[in-house]
Amino acid sequence: MPGGIIFEFPQQYLYPDGLWTTIQLSVLGLIGSIVLGIVIALFRISPFLPLRWLGTAYVEFFRNTPLLVQLFFLFFALPALGIRFSDDAFVFNFRAAVLGIALYHAAYVAEVIRGGLLGVDRGQIEAARSLGLSYRQMLREVQLPQAVRSVIPPIGNIAIALAKNTALAKTIGVAELLAAGDYVEAATFRTVEAYVAVALLYLVLTLPMAAGVNWLEKRLLVAR
Amino acid sequence: MRPDTWWIFTDVNFLRFFGAGLIQTMLLSVAAIALAFVVALVFALGRMSHRRWLRWPSIAYIETIRALPVLLLIVFFYIKGSSLLQPIFGPEFNLQPFWAGVLGLGLYTSAVLAEIIRAGILSLPRGQTEAARALGLSHVRAMRYVILPQGLRLMVPAMMSQLTTIIKDTSLVATIGVSDLLGQGRIIYNRYFNPIEVFLFVAVIYFVICFALSQASRRLELGNAPKAARAKIREIQLRDQAA
Repeated sequence: MPGGIIFEFPQQYLYPDGLWTTIQLSVLGLIGSIVLGIVIALFRISPFLPLRWLGTAYVEFFRNTPLLVQLFFLFFALPALGIRFSDDAFVFNFRAAVLGIALYHAAYVAEVIRGGLLGVDRGQIEAARSLGLSYRQMLREVQLPQAVRSVIPPIGNIAIALAKNTALAKTIGVAELLAAGDYVEAATFRTVEAYVAVALLYLVLTLPMAAGVNWLEKRLLVAR
Repeated sequence: MRPDTWWIFTDVNFLRFFGAGLIQTMLLSVAAIALAFVVALVFALGRMSHRRWLRWPSIAYIETIRALPVLLLIVFFYIKGSSLLQPIFGPEFNLQPFWAGVLGLGLYTSAVLAEIIRAGILSLPRGQTEAARALGLSHVRAMRYVILPQGLRLMVPAMMSQLTTIIKDTSLVATIGVSDLLGQGRIIYNRYFNPIEVFLFVAVIYFVICFALSQASRRLELGNAPKAARAKIREIQLRDQAA
C-alpha cells in the first residue's frame, strides 16, 4: 500500500513529527507574512513618498530573489553579524526558517493587499475624508474592511504556495516533512516508498487548502 | 573583527567562477522551460479532451504535481532518476544532478504551464472553434491552425513571468550539488567564511536578472487577454510561484 511506510516506525514518529513541523512553519510563516504584508501594503499606498519607495523596494527585492538565497543569508550571515535568535541550534534553524518564509511571502501578500485597497471605490475614501475622518481613521474604518473580502482568496493561494515552500527549510536543517523523508530513505533505501509517503502527506496538506480556496472564491465572487 | 572580503568581487578569477555558475543557471532554466512547454502542451490538450481516458489522467497529473513542492521532485529525481531511466538508456546510465534538476523543475513547471495554456485557450471566444469546425476542419486541425496559435500568443507574457519563477527556482539545484550560481557561492563561502558578501552578491545577480525579466513581461502586459483569463493567470501565479 502506498504510504504504508508512514506507520512503520512507531517509536520514532518521523513522518508525523515532520508533518507537524511543516504545519507549524506554515502557520507561523503565514501569520508573519500577513502582518508584515499589511504594513508593507500601507507603506506602498502611503501619501508620504519615501515610505512608498521603501515599500516598493521591499516588494521588488524580495519577489525577485530566490527564497533559498534569503534563507541561506539568514542562516549563515546573521550569526556572522552577531544576531542569534537562540543559543539552541535547532531552535535557531526553525526561527530563521519562519523569518525567511514570512519575509519572502510578505512581498506577495503586500501586493495582493495593495490591489485590494486600491480596488476600493475612490468615492468611499473621499466621502470618509470629507466627513472629517483622519487618514488613519479612514484606513481603519472604511478602506481596510472593504478590502478584506477581495483579498481573502488570493491570500489563500499564497498560503498554498507557502505550505509547499516550507520544504526549503530542510536545507537549513529544520526537520520538516521532506527531511523526514530523507531520513527514512537513508535508513531503509526504499526511495520510492519514502518519497511517495512524503508526497501523499503534502497532498493531504495542500489539496484541502486548494479546495477551500476554490470554494471561497466562488462564495465571495457571488456576493461581489 | 572578521577580515572583510569584498575584494574578491573585483578579482577577475572570482567573477569568472561566478560566471560559470550563472551559465549553469541559465542553461538549466532554458532546458527546464523547453521540457516544461512540451509536456505542458500535451497535458493541457489532454485536460480539454472530450475523451475521459485522456482527461482524467491529465487532471490527476496537473493537480498532483501542482500540489507538491518542487524540492521534493528535484530530490526524488536526484536519488531515483538513474534507476528509473536505466530501462531506457541501459544499465550503465547515470543521471547527472544537472539533468535531475531539469527533470524536477521541468515537470513541476509543466503542470503550471498546462494550466496557463488552458486558461489562454478557454479565454478564446467559442465562435472561433465553431467557425473552424463549420469550415470543415477536423478537431485536430482546428486546434492546430486556429485555436492554439491564438491561445499561445495570448499567454506569452504569462509564460515570460513564469520564466522568472524558473530562474529563481533553479537555485534549488544547489542543494543537490549542481554548481549553479548559488552553488558556486556556497563553494566560495566554505572557503572564505564570508556569508554576508557572498549571499548578498548572489542575491543581487538574481535580482538584476529577474527584475529585468519581470519588467519586460509587465511591459508586454496581459492587456490583450480577457478579464477572466487574467484573473485565472493571477491565481495560478500566486499559487504556483514556488521559491
